[in-house]
Amino acid sequence: MSEHDTPRRGRTGTACSRRAFVATGAAGLAAVAGCLGDSGGDSGGDGGDESRDGGLPDGVPYVEDPPEAVYVPSHRDPFLMQSPVTAGDYALLPHFSYPHRFWLVDGGETEEVLPTLDDSLHLMVAFWDRQTGELLPVDAGATLSVSRDGDPVETVAPWPMLSQTMGFHFGDNIPLPDDGTYTVDVTVNPIEAVRKTGGFAGRFEETRTATFEFEWTDDRRRTLVEDIEYLEEDQRGKPGALEPMHHGEMATGNGDTNGGGMDMSDMPSPSLRPAAAYPGTDLGVHESGDVAFVVRYLEDSRLATGDGGYLFVSPRTPYNRLPLPEMSLSLSLPDGVVQLGQTLDDELGMHYGGTVALSAGTQFDLVVDGPPQVARHRGYETAFLDMPPMTVEVDQ
Amino acid sequence: MGLPDSEMPRRQYLRGLVATGGAAALAACLEVPGSGTDVPQGDPGSRPARQHAWNDALPTDEDGNVRRPNHHALLALDLTTEPDRAASERVESAFRSLERAYAHDVAGLLFTVSYTPAYFETVGAESPVPDPEPLTSVEGEIALDGFHALVHLASDDPAVVLEAEQALLGGASEPNGVQMAADLAAVFERADPRRTGFVGSGLPVEQAEERGVDLPDELPDEAPFLMGFRSGLRESQAPEERVTIQQGPYAGGTTTHVESLSLNLRQWFEQNDQQLRIAEILSPHHAEDDVGETGEELGTSTGVFPDIADRTAADASTRGIVGHAQKTARAREDGTPLLLRRDINTLDGDRPGVHFLAHQREIADYVRARQAMAGEDLDGVGQRLNNGLLQYIFVRRRGNFVTPPRDLRALPGTDA
Repeated sequence: MSEHDTPRRGRTGTACSRRAFVATGAAGLAAVAGCLGDSGGDSGGDGGDESRDGGLPDGVPYVEDPPEAVYVPSHRDPFLMQSPVTAGDYALLPHFSYPHRFWLVDGGETEEVLPTLDDSLHLMVAFWDRQTGELLPVDAGATLSVSRDGDPVETVAPWPMLSQTMGFHFGDNIPLPDDGTYTVDVTVNPIEAVRKTGGFAGRFEETRTATFEFEWTDDRRRTLVEDIEYLEEDQRGKPGALEPMHHGEMATGNGDTNGGGMDMSDMPSPSLRPAAAYPGTDLGVHESGDVAFVVRYLEDSRLATGDGGYLFVSPRTPYNRLPLPEMSLSLSLPDGVVQLGQTLDDELGMHYGGTVALSAGTQFDLVVDGPPQVARHRGYETAFLDMPPMTVEVDQ
Repeated sequence: MGLPDSEMPRRQYLRGLVATGGAAALAACLEVPGSGTDVPQGDPGSRPARQHAWNDALPTDEDGNVRRPNHHALLALDLTTEPDRAASERVESAFRSLERAYAHDVAGLLFTVSYTPAYFETVGAESPVPDPEPLTSVEGEIALDGFHALVHLASDDPAVVLEAEQALLGGASEPNGVQMAADLAAVFERADPRRTGFVGSGLPVEQAEERGVDLPDELPDEAPFLMGFRSGLRESQAPEERVTIQQGPYAGGTTTHVESLSLNLRQWFEQNDQQLRIAEILSPHHAEDDVGETGEELGTSTGVFPDIADRTAADASTRGIVGHAQKTARAREDGTPLLLRRDINTLDGDRPGVHFLAHQREIADYVRARQAMAGEDLDGVGQRLNNGLLQYIFVRRRGNFVTPPRDLRALPGTDA
């Protein structure tokens, strides 16, 4: 296990400690949560985490001094699901929960984001390709425009995020001024920053917008708080992860319906295929920073762009095989360095790859230049940061 | 027309009126003792030949950076008549009247008159600038300026901005005590949108408080821009010569692009800390001590050119984060920036935003700089995530303009 000390910087000026504590209305969810759960209080363990001084993290007990690895959090969150909506080739699944603590990643550091008392809910959108059912775990620069009766409430680019139960999604804590019916326009922009191959070449080049509505009421806040499922204390903080939700079991709450002609069972699993499902020469499954890297070499591949074959790398979380986008990977070969590109392929899914000529006996390092920059929900904030190179060898 | 019954200091009250606009705001403004008085009158004969030559009239800050005027309005106009010689003379006469009314100074009035491709199409002439279009993949369906002309009015005195606007539209016949020989009313009518803005230390917080717009507490009281940091430092601004058209019918003029953006300041201030804000607005190589709370330690330079700009692609792939300034500094020519920024903060519609107004020799220069800022060529950062300021800005509208030299500012491209 790595000895890397993860820097954690609480955000400046924690609103919880400075603002009036409002226990009712849309702003009061953190307060309700705080009343129902042990709010944590003293940070104990590692100390030095000023952000906890307000005594109101997101209102539920948390694992103090977690291991520097993927770990089981103290609880499983309930979600209120909406019906999926469509936007061109994209299918979008909106869902929400109470305002969450999460961690942004910039470079090799994390930055803890605490909900403020203005935040009403944590709004999330998962999205996938309707034609193939493939997940699209990339930063498509999506935007959420929240309005009420035509009046704008908030426009935000939600963070690309990873949670143990939902996998990759976009999300953020959103402040709402009051209870009521809200309209959300979700805009997904062309996917330009990653390579698109196979049936995905030339696709996802249009801006698409879908709209959904939701009610924000006292009942819904109560559901979100009362349905929190606490794990046994002896499980919390142990290496492991909550099961990812699969279709059929996702709707734990009574979501609104939008009449979009789809139901939640269309949502693909948030997990990647098992290692054995990929083609090519097996170069092993390697581990770094608690990430499993499936490495394959595909000779004569349609994916190669020059002389040589295609080196395929699929990094995934341990336990539940969730994809890890926005990572920088390279190969350190005897004759130079090759950057791997994040790639979306309709048959192989999201992976990293590059063209390289390998022969039996070749040894190289798989180098993580930048860890996955996606924001992390609880249980992932201490993993996937310090990631030493891995040595890969092509068998004789 | 009196002041509302309030304890609001006069200075604050006046500043908010530019956003309100109209004759009533102007009347309220002028009834306040000390406002709109002691405004220096001017001499049209002493105005420079380039409309965009403002720098000699602008003060500099303690570091030597040119300081923009405090208050601005961007007045959109549509033609209401077939342009002819009489119309052209009337328009020129209106602008000359303004020049007599106000000195070429921040205490007086600085202004430019610019024309869109839609104008040139209407008058049957070839447009020297292309139609506006979305420039990056994350813009989606944005509005594109299709009105005919744009007048950018700027002054440190909000009453001057309001009065000049009213005078052009026929609502004030003697601005600053000088008779208007003509106005634009027989040739142009007001079009949408009316845009306003402000720049200056302390103005963002002051304006927001006055209008009841809720901004994050983390925005420093003295910040000159809504994102908290100084911008437009001398070293990252194109000289006026670099943005001046060199040949052709509009030689001596410039082009103007206006990109209107809205900002998500909640994420920017409440979810990031100062070090991350600095990494995203400048570069991951800048330390808090080098920058200061609002950029006061930067002097006249962001310090990104050339070394940190050269490291942009490497920072994306190895650090997973790049800064706005380092990305945009990649679009320089022999070390000289391409754009002369005269962007302004705005609270139009009671939402925080920026009207990013820039002059450049040709619109292609703007496109080059904007695409460098988009960083779509960079591996290791997202389309927005950790990619400078792109997480927090939302493009709403774009417009392209030619800003002719002063002697061609009245209905250019017509036989008149």
